[in-house]
Amino acid sequence: MEMKKWLATVGAASVLFGSLLAGCSGGEKAEQTNGGGKAGEQVEVTLAGWGGNPTEQKLLKQTLDDFEKKYPNIKVKYEVIADQYMDVIKTRLAGGQGPDVFYLDAFEAPALIETGALEPLDKYVTDDFDINDFEKPMLDAFKGKDGKIYGFPKDYSTLALFYNKKMFEEAGVEVPRTWDELREVAKKLTKGKQVYGFGVAPELARLYYIAESKGGKVVTDNKASFADPKVVEALQPIVDMHVKDKSAAQPNEVGATWGGEMFGQGKAAMVIEGNWAIPFLQETFPNLEFGTAEIPTINGKKTTMAYTVAYVMNKDSKKKEAAWKLIEYLTGKEGMKTWTSKGYALPTRKSVAAELGFDKDPLRAPLVAGASYATVWQNGTNLPIITNNFNNQFVSAFLGERPLAEALKEAQKTANSEIQSK
Amino acid sequence: MKRMSTKRMWREAGAGYLFLSPTLFVLLLFIIGPILFAIFLAFHKVQLLGTTSFEFVGLDNFKRMADDTRAKIALWNTLKYVIIVVPFQTILALVLAATLNAGLKGQKFFRIVYFLPTLTSSAVLTLIFMWMYNQNGLINHVLKAVGLPTYNWIGDPDVALNAIMIMNIWATAPYFMVIYLAALQDVPDSLYEAAELDGASAWQKFWHITVPYLRPVTSFVVIMGLIGTFQLFDQSYIFSSGSGGPNNSTLTVVLLIYQYAFKTLGTMGYAAALAFALAILIFIATLLQRKLSKEESLY
Repeated sequence: MEMKKWLATVGAASVLFGSLLAGCSGGEKAEQTNGGGKAGEQVEVTLAGWGGNPTEQKLLKQTLDDFEKKYPNIKVKYEVIADQYMDVIKTRLAGGQGPDVFYLDAFEAPALIETGALEPLDKYVTDDFDINDFEKPMLDAFKGKDGKIYGFPKDYSTLALFYNKKMFEEAGVEVPRTWDELREVAKKLTKGKQVYGFGVAPELARLYYIAESKGGKVVTDNKASFADPKVVEALQPIVDMHVKDKSAAQPNEVGATWGGEMFGQGKAAMVIEGNWAIPFLQETFPNLEFGTAEIPTINGKKTTMAYTVAYVMNKDSKKKEAAWKLIEYLTGKEGMKTWTSKGYALPTRKSVAAELGFDKDPLRAPLVAGASYATVWQNGTNLPIITNNFNNQFVSAFLGERPLAEALKEAQKTANSEIQSK
Repeated sequence: MKRMSTKRMWREAGAGYLFLSPTLFVLLLFIIGPILFAIFLAFHKVQLLGTTSFEFVGLDNFKRMADDTRAKIALWNTLKYVIIVVPFQTILALVLAATLNAGLKGQKFFRIVYFLPTLTSSAVLTLIFMWMYNQNGLINHVLKAVGLPTYNWIGDPDVALNAIMIMNIWATAPYFMVIYLAALQDVPDSLYEAAELDGASAWQKFWHITVPYLRPVTSFVVIMGLIGTFQLFDQSYIFSSGSGGPNNSTLTVVLLIYQYAFKTLGTMGYAAALAFALAILIFIATLLQRKLSKEESLY
């Protein structure tokens, strides 16, 4: 009996002691961060993002240095989250340790906006910031259901067709303009298992525009609807190219990790990739001669995807004024110009795009042209669940293990039951 | 007199607990606390981001498992993995230990070589194996050289889980081998001598003396193996970069828990319920194993 009491007392004491410790550290932090961006006072804003290649890192550093010069009382602490970016961000936000400003992919935006973890930015915007200068679809991707803007897009990329000039010359074929042409050309370019005509990424993120090209919808009312016969019909050619024509392959079939690598190693004559592949190919495979073209038309219509990333602000940030100054600078005309100057990503501001003239760059022109008709990679809060299920099952159809319609039906069922019980 | 002794007892117990308190504090904070909290979470619908909310939903999280196709696939994959990996790694460990204890030349060298994989972190090991499993990697080259068919080890849904199994058997067996080796030192030589006098062959000695003598250790190895294999996570996580693909073939229960806890928003409660169910499953498997091996000694 007495023993038990003792145990209870010690237990209670240790818990108290623990909370005391926790309380202490909490207090300290509150004092430290009680800045709020008053003039003359040093404020440190944390900015989190995923790393890029060294040149991108250099560009960002330069942009941040310029910012610090302009606002000497604000210091930016840049943190790189190298892997599983969203998992880390969500966990840190839930734990109250989130960065003040961070990158957010349009794909993840609706779900995160819905949780209320982000600060609406409308009230900070001034006329000087010129909100109408942004490409509208990219900006709309970060609007909540309440119509408020939760982030400003820092850059974007669309998809384009990358082709190996030498292989095209050897095979004596022209760059395809329609999807049917692409299929024929791919057959001619294929050399057994050594070179595939077309490298495919069997993922929804890269197939979404194709899936919807025949009038079907991948997502309806925030639920999966990709088992629609029209979607199946639109995706069937991709599967057929792999299973029947044997003119298409996914990167891991030839030992590559992604399309750019597959293309660079000369194992695919064509791939559909984004802006990010251009510097990668130029740096890693300097002898490769390649060109880009707009994605072949389907049913006479031009289509492509657009991927965009924004700077967003943590709602629990204690330095919102300073955080806004940072976002304002980074997505402002000056900061965006520095950031996109080398063409690693395309500027979301029309004025910056016009000034930098990427629409005249032969490799980037097809990507810039895509912006006007691209589908932004985003669709409601459940797209991550839908995508995961689609990707998992689509592969089995792509590998020819079962019919596409059946695989997609099952994936849709799984996705929707997961959404329903959420 | 009686009072005195109670007082003394109090003081002694007090001093004892005072010394224990740091440990108790750590235990409460990092082990018992989280376990209780996880059980609490399992009965709630939890939203941690933004506006934190806990809504009591009773057994809903557990009922949900019945309709969850992915949970069923994950469970099936995990069971398949356990059923194949545990016997293989146990037998391999026993055979390795017996050969390394037979007094061969250079056995110390081989002990070290065999033990090396255990010292490597599983994440590094997985990455190295992924290189070897690459379509143009070492393993396919070797297979081709000896005229066997090659596989897309990482991308083919039929093969991916087997690739992880092979890797794990190779990596974990040596650890259990060391445990067997230690136990083998305890087997009295007199038993072998007596068997030799009776004209027993090497195989008979192994089967009738070594194996029965090591039974308690085998029981330990199997239980630890069960617990370890049920919790398969890092290898399949790295293999599929967190998705459990291709075609859900490397989706394990713990990977699914991870996905629900950190990938999808607002399913932390369901993840906790799955974790709770897995704990019960491991508990049952362990009890079954003990029942079957009729082992009296406790671990």
